[in-house]
Amino acid sequence: MKVVTGVVGNDIHVVANRLIDLSLRARGYEVFNLGVNTHLEEFFDAVVETGAEVLMISSLNGEAEGWGREVPLLKSRYSNLDDVIMMIGGNLVVGSGNTEDIVARYKKYGFDLVCHQMDLNTGLDMLQSLSEERGIA
Amino acid sequence: MTATDDKLLIDVGSTYFKLATANTIEQHFRDFNRDIFDDLMGKCGDTIDRFDKQDIHICSSANGGLSTLIIGVTNSFSLKYATNIAFNSGINIIDTILYQNIEEYSLPSDLIDVVIIVGGVDSHANLFSSALYRYIEQLNYSNLVFVGSALDAQQMRDNIDNVVVLPNIIDDRLHIVEEHLKEYLTNLYQQDIEGKEDIKHLYDITANQIYSTPFIVNRALPTIEAKFPVADPFILLDIGGATTDIHYSKDLVEDNIVTENEYDRLVFKRLGVYKSKQSLILAAQANEFTYELLTHLKVTENIFHEQSDKATKILMQLAIFLVLCKMSHYRQSYINLKLLAINSIVFTGGITKVLTVEDIESIIVFFYRKILTSDHKPVAILDSDYGIWTLGAKV
Ligand code: B12
Repeated sequence: MKVVTGVVGNDIHVVANRLIDLSLRARGYEVFNLGVNTHLEEFFDAVVETGAEVLMISSLNGEAEGWGREVPLLKSRYSNLDDVIMMIGGNLVVGSGNTEDIVARYKKYGFDLVCHQMDLNTGLDMLQSLSEERGIA
Repeated sequence: MTATDDKLLIDVGSTYFKLATANTIEQHFRDFNRDIFDDLMGKCGDTIDRFDKQDIHICSSANGGLSTLIIGVTNSFSLKYATNIAFNSGINIIDTILYQNIEEYSLPSDLIDVVIIVGGVDSHANLFSSALYRYIEQLNYSNLVFVGSALDAQQMRDNIDNVVVLPNIIDDRLHIVEEHLKEYLTNLYQQDIEGKEDIKHLYDITANQIYSTPFIVNRALPTIEAKFPVADPFILLDIGGATTDIHYSKDLVEDNIVTENEYDRLVFKRLGVYKSKQSLILAAQANEFTYELLTHLKVTENIFHEQSDKATKILMQLAIFLVLCKMSHYRQSYINLKLLAINSIVFTGGITKVLTVEDIESIIVFFYRKILTSDHKPVAILDSDYGIWTLGAKV
């Protein structure tokens, strides 16, 4: 299974990105890592170019709050991304917040899996279950 | 080309001929009623006769350059990478189609020199379908090259006659692979010259390959500091008769393109002061700051209808302003330059014969104040004796 990953916006926190890359490969995924400092449009475009089944966005510095809002409009301009599993994790707000509210908000933006301040392996297990559920694993 | 003194360098532009020997520079306006070769020999035959064919090096932008239509699947990868390679191969006219919307694009009426189809990494397949082949069938083109996913190559061969298949320009890490497409396009340029009646005779006077002028300019840039006091990072503007070329150092773009070139090129077609004068005026009239700039230059709109040295000078100043504007707005061109980081702007081409450093700097200051609300002021450097071109031609 193919995964496009990277850190959204002007975010330069690279450590989680490296860990995600390694962990995904260890679990047998084919990884297209766009690295830090990645524009939202580049994520979607990378999914189109690679045919990835999963888009996994990280955000650590709090920027996701702004980018998340742009996801529905941008995604609507693409004709064939409906089946892609959209996943986001890291620090999804500036400062602290109630996880339940945060998850609900990002689901509204169109993310299937929202992993706010969640341990990476837990998140990857969730991905595994969802892809099995959808019959693409 | 080796740097020796007994060479003659000739540049055939859309507006002038330039000839450089070790210690002289000649420049002549072209006569458009004459064949390029006859015109050149008529004006410079004596100089040319003094050199052996092996010692004459020619570059040309007079054939107008090749026109390209690129069909790709995304803006950030396939279209951007192919556009980058095309510009760096000296191609001037580039139109792009985002494949998912192909049915909304109208068909270009002109003959296209080369159609480039691109999309997907090599492990992805079936990026294109019948909509592509229907569109291609209606197009009027001379060459077609496929540089997308290897898995789709056979499908292209099955559906498009005479398609040339080259290795993918996108590798498995989504990075750009330039060399094959670049070589293909550079060779097409060569064939284009050989095929054009009024240019092909130029090979009667040279035994060397005729390159496109932007190719020569780009080649000079890594060594430009030997000739000019240029502070990095810089951009180079070549405002010509038909188009305006910008060469910029890589540090000026925040970009996902990782190439080995230190410098890239971008062209604004139909933005020149002679052949493209009318479209330049239209672009100026569409820019909301033009009238303020004209006032700043102490002229009125009537200047557009004048035929005078003064009018040419104003048009050139406007061209500088418009080019800077075009580069400053997010996503208006396929890349965005960090204009506040520029330390020098180098000017080459006919413009250096007409404008002074002061004329240019007044435009630069106006631009940064009005558009970027900044007091930043990059230094203007004029290459008034075609030093960059001779540098590139001699490499
Ligand atoms: C190191 C660090 C930096 C370094 C980064 C160096 C580098 N190139 O990586 C430097 C000093 C440059 C830096 C800068 C900044 N930082 Co900082 N930084 C940190 C710090 C201390 C550690 C981050 C780290 O590497 N952790 C180790 C990795 C492994 O953990 P992680 O990033 O949390 O990722 C884990 C999970 O989140 C999860 N995960 C991540 N992504 C995803 C995605 C999915 C799908 C899933 C399932 C899981 C997942 O998996 C990882 C492993 O479990 C954190 C605080 C902290 N202790 O977390 C602040 C922190 C991230 N930084 C913060 C801030 C604010 C900044 C700055 C804005 C500070 C400033 N004012 O200049 C800048 C921003 C720079 C920029 N443009 O992005 C804030 C963000 C606050 C927020 N979101 O509200 C934090 C949380 C500090 C804080 N408590 O205030 N920072």
